[in-house]
Amino acid sequence: MILSAEEFSRIQAQAEAEYPAECCGVVLVRPDSPGDRLLLACRNIQSELHAKDPVRHPRDARTAYFIDPKDLLSIGRREAQGYRVAVIYHSHIDAGAYFSETDKRNALMGGEPAYPEAVYVVVSVVERRLADAGLFVWDPAARDFIPAELKPA
Amino acid sequence: MSVQVYIPTPFRRATNNKDRVAIDAGDVKALLDELEGRFSGLKGLVRNEQGEVHHHVNIYVNSEAIEALQGVQTSLKDGDEVSIIPALAGGQARPRRGACPPPAALKADPAG
Repeated sequence: MILSAEEFSRIQAQAEAEYPAECCGVVLVRPDSPGDRLLLACRNIQSELHAKDPVRHPRDARTAYFIDPKDLLSIGRREAQGYRVAVIYHSHIDAGAYFSETDKRNALMGGEPAYPEAVYVVVSVVERRLADAGLFVWDPAARDFIPAELKPA
Repeated sequence: MSVQVYIPTPFRRATNNKDRVAIDAGDVKALLDELEGRFSGLKGLVRNEQGEVHHHVNIYVNSEAIEALQGVQTSLKDGDEVSIIPALAGGQARPRRGACPPPAALKADPAG
């Protein structure tokens, strides 16, 4: 299972509520207890970065996300408790549920997936309504993230 | 003085999969020097060639970002916990202009 129906509903609600900003978050799972899952809705600070330094951060939250480092610290603390990042999600505003080159570039570190055990979910929100959702997984042979079927269980 | 360093998933390839490392260091700079000396794969991931911490990497001493302290000169004391956290970010292929496409057309967005 990638996402439960309840988790998908929460992501949809977050994405629609935060429109026209991209939303973001993660789902954490304990490998030794797969039913033990946590959805952490994160804060997108992209517009704050853009306001502070538009040269370094030319986009605002309408077209990009940047998870609040405080949320990343919380995620790190959960990892230290045995959780693993299983799903990383974000929304695209008035655009498709594709995995962009920006998404890919940021998902890699030194050419390898930064979170090897994680999959990526992108939801498309058009005029504040969920329009589409896509799942993207790393394919080591293709050296790329490829689309897969997302069926909330 | 011994400091616990938390290594998040993205950096663990460089630390033989260790998620925690104990380091003796008096400040953050010395800690990074020692860490990179012990795990050479970390070189370039946390700091650039000039020794500056990458903009997309955040370092915390306990729960405080070092930018709010004294940067890499931040002193460390026995029992401190240091976390080195890379950014998690992304976004659309490029900003859209004009009218939105109908949802049915979104999957075929050539930009993605």
